[in-house]
Amino acid sequence: MLQLTDVTAYYGDFRAVRDVNLIVPPQQVTALIGPSGCGKSTMLRSINRMHETIPGATITGSIMLDGVNIYADNIDAVRVRRAIGMVFQKPNPFPTMSIRENVASGLRLAGTLAKSEIEGVVEHSLKQAALWEEVKEKLDQPGTSLSGGQQQRLCIARAIAVKPAVLLMDEPCSALDPIATLKIEELIRSLREEYTIVIVTHNMQQASRVSDSTAFFTMGDDRAGYLVEHGETRQIFTAPKESLTEGYIAGRFG
Amino acid sequence: MKVSGLLLERLSPQEQRRLRTDRLMALFLRTCAGIAVLPVVALTVYVALRGIPALSPTFFLNSPADTEPGILNAILGSLQLTAVAILFTGPIGIAAGVYLSEYASRRVSSAGTMMIDVLLGTPSIIAGLVVFLVAVPFLGFSAWAGVLALSVLMLPVVMRTTQEVIRLVPIGVREASLALGVPVWKTTLYITCRTALSGLLTGLVLAISRGLGETAPLLLTARGTSAMNLFDFGTTINAMPMAVYEYSNTSSALLKEQAWGTALVLLVIALTLNVLVRSRTINSRVA
Amino acid sequence: MTQNEGTRLGQGRLSLADPIFRLLLGAAVILAGLLLATLIVSLIGYSMPLWTVENPLHFITSDVWSGLSQAPDGSTVGGFGAAGMIFGTVVTSIIAILFAAPVGIFAAVYLVEFAPKRLATLLTFLVELIAAIPSVVIGLWAVGDLSLRLRDSVEWWVASSIGKIIPWLSEDPAAPAASSVFRAGLVLGMMILPMVVAVSREVIRSVPQSLREGYVGMGATRWETIRHVILPTAKVGIAGAVLLALGRAIGETIAVTMVIGNASRIPGSLFQSGQTIASKIAGSIAETGTPEELGSLAALGLALFLITLGLSLAVRFITRRSVVGANS
Repeated sequence: MLQLTDVTAYYGDFRAVRDVNLIVPPQQVTALIGPSGCGKSTMLRSINRMHETIPGATITGSIMLDGVNIYADNIDAVRVRRAIGMVFQKPNPFPTMSIRENVASGLRLAGTLAKSEIEGVVEHSLKQAALWEEVKEKLDQPGTSLSGGQQQRLCIARAIAVKPAVLLMDEPCSALDPIATLKIEELIRSLREEYTIVIVTHNMQQASRVSDSTAFFTMGDDRAGYLVEHGETRQIFTAPKESLTEGYIAGRFG
Repeated sequence: MKVSGLLLERLSPQEQRRLRTDRLMALFLRTCAGIAVLPVVALTVYVALRGIPALSPTFFLNSPADTEPGILNAILGSLQLTAVAILFTGPIGIAAGVYLSEYASRRVSSAGTMMIDVLLGTPSIIAGLVVFLVAVPFLGFSAWAGVLALSVLMLPVVMRTTQEVIRLVPIGVREASLALGVPVWKTTLYITCRTALSGLLTGLVLAISRGLGETAPLLLTARGTSAMNLFDFGTTINAMPMAVYEYSNTSSALLKEQAWGTALVLLVIALTLNVLVRSRTINSRVA
Repeated sequence: MTQNEGTRLGQGRLSLADPIFRLLLGAAVILAGLLLATLIVSLIGYSMPLWTVENPLHFITSDVWSGLSQAPDGSTVGGFGAAGMIFGTVVTSIIAILFAAPVGIFAAVYLVEFAPKRLATLLTFLVELIAAIPSVVIGLWAVGDLSLRLRDSVEWWVASSIGKIIPWLSEDPAAPAASSVFRAGLVLGMMILPMVVAVSREVIRSVPQSLREGYVGMGATRWETIRHVILPTAKVGIAGAVLLALGRAIGETIAVTMVIGNASRIPGSLFQSGQTIASKIAGSIAETGTPEELGSLAALGLALFLITLGLSLAVRFITRRSVVGANS
């Protein structure tokens, strides 16, 4: 499904994370955990080719989506980002667009759907994001008029409206209160049916609640992050193979 | 599976259009930037080309009345006018700026800022007109009137720069001083202003730059003259911008050439001061 | 902004230094305020005599500015019609904005979103340099070089094509004008360009990076991000920038005076000489003696002042309610 082979990410000459070999199982939630600064977000952003939007940032290795190397020369980055969606740490609805327009923004870019069809997709996405009931009366209000948790669900609805194959989430709950966080976690579990989800999180408990498989990163002595261990979530959290993993889980560092 | 298909398919005509638009717009934007830069370059080159031939020792050291005319009276006039004007507007402007940032209540500060905005936006001709209406009947067309007109324009520049720069001084610096028992006025003067000194000087330089380059207000007040005026502020005085303006309107080829020479001098001064200000602000980002 | 609490600390002491210092500083502010007040009051006051011989409506609508003179029968004839000046001011400013706004805004977009850092710094420096150049130097260059180029290229081209049909874009082929409203407008546009670029740059830069990422993350091209996210978000701030620039254009005197000529009537074509309020004031000092004549200039000055004041207020009002504002 999604396969990372010997992936190393650089910011200029600085090696941020190295030699990552990981298979992300389809239709499951995979969590990337580990202490701050060990390259989890960088790794995530490499998957939808957002990493390269930073001047000087590059990666080596290959990332295959359904057998296609997304970094190949003949592959358009814009298309990759359609196929692989992202939800960011801080909710970022577009302030000059209404709720409806926010959800439809990705669809408008592709321009393939007729107006009436767009309405239907908007409603469906908002329902999938568990936001429909709360906003159906006020679809024309600006996207920023919602609470933090609602805004994040709006961003999720926006991301899934274009039906990506993979959904990346970069610490989606860290800017939200506990109640909103729980709602989003429920949402993630329900989205699993249709999407392959990769989520970066600082919160171990969240990872164990929400994910099916987990990958643990840490920082090496050379300040580069690396993948220590990955596997089924249950196994990582109860019987980790590496002592570093065990140390992190037990709260001894990070 | 569907995704690999999506990634490998040829670009649809629609996607091709999007990419083409992106590339076209990138070119268009670059062109706009080019257009924006063009005038400065063209102007500098042209003024240099026509101004350099006019430059010579006599150009700088002689007066219009001499057999080989020069613009010394204009140079000295500009210096005198601006020097006296900054002598007034510097201290007053800094004092006012400090008051508005440090001592004034929110309402007063807001009103003061608006007042500075209005003064800053006042067209230079208006400054000249008002001084002409109000002061020239008493002072006559004189250097004093010219100084007054320039001051109207230079004062808000100093005030605004002072305001902004003082505001940037971290609160911690003041608090440290007060906590040591230093009186408020000493804190403001020796600590806060000292910290912001570089910025305050920048304000003065900006004001001076403005003063040296203004023509319109002086036309109505100091009037210009071909005579040399040294320290006689009660009568008309010449200034470089006025020399450019007047000489450009004459039919004398020599004077016209001198207009370009004077313009070149003004250009060089203005650019130098501007670069000076920029390098200061870049270096003092530490505040 | 600091609210100074320290003065309360100082109240326990017997020193007079603090209050005196504060008084001195406050006096400076009052002085500045008096300056502004003098400006306003004198313009109003000195314009009074004009209204004895002119009524405001006629002042604004008539373009005959002939001053007052004695007719053979002893009555005073003539008047002060400022329509020509108002026309010139408005039209040159509009032309200036039509040039400076698109070029400036798009140049700013390029500088923030596309240009590599070093190039952006250099280009920004060059663009903003114009603002430092004395207006009379720009005027001289315009008259000596640019004006003729424009006349022989753009004006000639337009006049020989559309100008045959549209009168205000025509010119007399036998005697192309030495100065024109159009050229003055263009020169003005060049002078206000740095302001548009500088403020727009600030506004565009302060659009949060997270918004850009959000749109790009969904598969948008750079231009699409600019068009659908960045520009709409920066819209209000940029409008403020344009208004600010407009205010500057309206008050500009010397460069415009040199390029626009000295015709107090409304010209038949944009490619002929005209007049602005500012250039009229600058050129009229010689002809003023009577209170009415002084009054006419004061009235012009008052009009100019009020217009720039109004624009200043408009800018504050508009940018108060924006998502991303321009703090100037």
